[in-house]
Amino acid sequence: MIVGSQKPIEEIWDMVKDSKKVLVFGCNTCIAVCHAGGDKEAETIAMMLRMRASQEGKNIEVKHFSVMRHCEPEYFVPVMEEVKKYDLVLSTACGVGVNFLSERIGDVPVYPGVNTSFYGGVPASGVFTELCGGCGDCVLHLTGGICPIVRCSKSLMNGPCGGTKDGKCEVSDEIDCAWYLIVERMKKLGTLDKLAEIQPPRNWSSSAHGGPRRIVVEHLQELEQKEDNKG
Amino acid sequence: MSSVQTADKDNYLKRIAETKNKRPYSPCRAACPVNTDAQAYVGLIAQGRYNEAFEVITAPNPIASVCSLICHHPCEQACRRCTVDEPLAIRHLKRFALEKALDYRHSRRKPVKKTKGKSIGIIGSGPSGLAAANDLANLGYDVTIYERHPMLGGMLSSTIPPYRLPRKTLQEDIEDVISKGVEVKTNCEIGKDITINDITAKHDAVIIAAGLSLSRSLNIPGVEGEGVVLAIPFLTDVSFGKKLDLGSKVLVIGGGNVAMDVARTAKRLGVKNVEMVCLESAEEMPAWKWEVDEAVEEGVSILHRQGPKAVRREGGKVKGLEVLKVISVFDANGRFNPVFDNSQISFIEADNIIITIGQMANLLFLKDSHIQVDERGRVVWDPETHMSSAKGVFVAGEVVTGPGSAIQAVASGHRAAVAAHLYLQGEKIEGALPVYDKEKILPFPTDVVSNIMPEHRAKIHHLPPETRCSSFSHFEFGYDEIEALKEAGRCRGCGSGAVVDTSKCMACLTCQRVCPYGAPKVTAWSEIDPARCQACGLCAPECPAQAISMLSYNTMDIRKTMPSIIGVLDTKREKPVIAAFLCTHHVGVLGFDMPDNIRKVPVHCTSRIDITDLLKAFECGADGVAVVRCPEGSCKYKGVGKRVAARVNRTKELISMLGIDAGRIELFRAGSGNGNSYASVCNEFAERIKEIALRK
Repeated sequence: MIVGSQKPIEEIWDMVKDSKKVLVFGCNTCIAVCHAGGDKEAETIAMMLRMRASQEGKNIEVKHFSVMRHCEPEYFVPVMEEVKKYDLVLSTACGVGVNFLSERIGDVPVYPGVNTSFYGGVPASGVFTELCGGCGDCVLHLTGGICPIVRCSKSLMNGPCGGTKDGKCEVSDEIDCAWYLIVERMKKLGTLDKLAEIQPPRNWSSSAHGGPRRIVVEHLQELEQKEDNKG
Repeated sequence: MSSVQTADKDNYLKRIAETKNKRPYSPCRAACPVNTDAQAYVGLIAQGRYNEAFEVITAPNPIASVCSLICHHPCEQACRRCTVDEPLAIRHLKRFALEKALDYRHSRRKPVKKTKGKSIGIIGSGPSGLAAANDLANLGYDVTIYERHPMLGGMLSSTIPPYRLPRKTLQEDIEDVISKGVEVKTNCEIGKDITINDITAKHDAVIIAAGLSLSRSLNIPGVEGEGVVLAIPFLTDVSFGKKLDLGSKVLVIGGGNVAMDVARTAKRLGVKNVEMVCLESAEEMPAWKWEVDEAVEEGVSILHRQGPKAVRREGGKVKGLEVLKVISVFDANGRFNPVFDNSQISFIEADNIIITIGQMANLLFLKDSHIQVDERGRVVWDPETHMSSAKGVFVAGEVVTGPGSAIQAVASGHRAAVAAHLYLQGEKIEGALPVYDKEKILPFPTDVVSNIMPEHRAKIHHLPPETRCSSFSHFEFGYDEIEALKEAGRCRGCGSGAVVDTSKCMACLTCQRVCPYGAPKVTAWSEIDPARCQACGLCAPECPAQAISMLSYNTMDIRKTMPSIIGVLDTKREKPVIAAFLCTHHVGVLGFDMPDNIRKVPVHCTSRIDITDLLKAFECGADGVAVVRCPEGSCKYKGVGKRVAARVNRTKELISMLGIDAGRIELFRAGSGNGNSYASVCNEFAERIKEIALRK
């Protein structure tokens, strides 16, 4: 899932302070799971903004509500009329949601209430760890299911580097060395010999370096078009 | 498209209300023959909201005061605390609330407008008659009650001994009913003072609620004549003040609850030696165990497994009873079918014998009417419509259901009242009468039982047996306020806990991780098992989608009501205004006694407080926020402390971001000593933050 965290309230305040009518628009999927922008956090931010406005003696109307997802139109179209009544929408969805809504809302600015950080897992309540970089060319079968692209600070394909120490990365004691984990994992799987094979340089064009990506599931898209033509 | 949801709280709350209706009842409520919401009123008592508790108690039950003293309380037998320690003292808490709400109760008595333009006659004023009269008066009918005794109440006034039911208490229930404008004709016996045909001609509908007014007797030699009396005439004579001479030894035949009343009444009339003889063993006796225990405490002795053979007399005077040994009372199918050993005969001496082996209806007054009685002497009726064979004549209570409890008769009275109403409105009765047989939530799973802290039931005090036998004074003392609040706090709130709005839940697992009782199970969305849920509320504030609500004391209400709780603030105030979130588990009314600047926010448990609730208090202008947990060692839920502390700390972080001093919110525990420790922690806190909070 997509993981993010709330922006500092001062940063948000700077975005909204000149507006009269602000909607804190929550998203109840990934960003709610990481307790950053679901209905509850949207309410919290709305309350904080009202208090901040009151401290500044500003008369700003701040309301909140949420939909299940900001990244598919069907979810927010039914409330679009209501959303458009505000002169600023602070979306607490991930960056996907902010972009997506911005393109469909007309003249109302949509600003982010959340810093979108990574694709992660939830090892325990309240803990989120980055596990995938969305590189578009998965190599996990070569590395024991542990991602060298995002979990190695250098994204090395043939690690570890000299900065590994006692299983930790030289960048920080709190970061596990991905290549240490890979070696240990592959020992366990009995596939350590595969690591003797040198991986060639990667073609990064499938990741963000190749420009904005777009995936089309053609058989579905064609079907949609046919349905549309019928109508 | 259907999964689109907005924060439309009103719709949300409506859905929650619907869920509550669909959910199985708490066991106490399901066990009550009229589904009294015991859990709701116990919860209100715990918060010192006695008048509201009164409303909940009396809504389904017009003889609530009577039941508060004499009900056999199936609610308590069903209480899920039975598997942990002891059941809630629900009946006794009911008594406490009713006594506390007495002034309120008197203030709300007023006639109901007779808007229906139709009249209904009710024969008999026992529990079913009173219930029907009450319901029909509420609906706007002109109701007349006919009662052969000088006081309303049926068996309640004529046979239940006053040491169990003081007549003043009964009168409170009766007054509630007749104050609605019900006409009362006492000393009016049908068939003697007025005929049944007169009554059916006079009213648009009639309800026969005549009860079982005749005692059954025994067909054994010597039973006829002086010295052998039947239970009902005996108890009625005592109730209406007739002096009786019972000699020094009385033998009571029977093992039911009426037999206990008879024996204990005989004791109070000064009979030195009161003995009971019954067919059943101690375990088989139909009397409630507590009735038996109290009788034995008072010196009544019980001979088990003996069947009456003959009354022995000398010169006409009773000498005693010959009895046969009982081999078995019930047959293989559990039916009453006693078998005696005719070779084992013994003799029990007695001056007087009172027969208490059951009751039957007296239906002589139906002679010469259209109302049919079957060959076994029972009124012919249709249980689906409560109608007798005569159109517009309905039946209610023990006259048709057979012997049962007072509250069961009330249930029957409700049904008959609805039936009469539908009949008079020309509507279909079948399938429209209230049904009280409800599904209840399952018992606590064993792993949940081990997670529940035992808390002993507050003892109910009685007059000592030697004192109570010397008069007909009520022998049981009510709880004082401290006892009642403590007892009410033991309720686990079965079935009143968390529910999930599935249109908002995104299956994030937070609730499942938070719950100490394993109640939420997340698959496509979270489902909360009501049998496991303890209604602590720990999960709801943690839900990031605000998809969890509590069925009782919903926390979403806190934020709605906060502006009115804090109110408009005086800009020149000298004392800081504190929003005090108080755990109501032990706070009761004592904790509510607070100075004006402390604005009380009662919560079922501090586990239910959301960060947004705490922020809301600041948003509404509170100078400080105190979260006061119950005293150390008294929280009835698990895992509350660390989560509440985490929420308070997060709120500190949030208000700090706004430049508000983090010290303006603190978490406290009330002290366990005497006095109002809730008030003292709040006052000290207010004093402490005065400087920082009121600094301009």
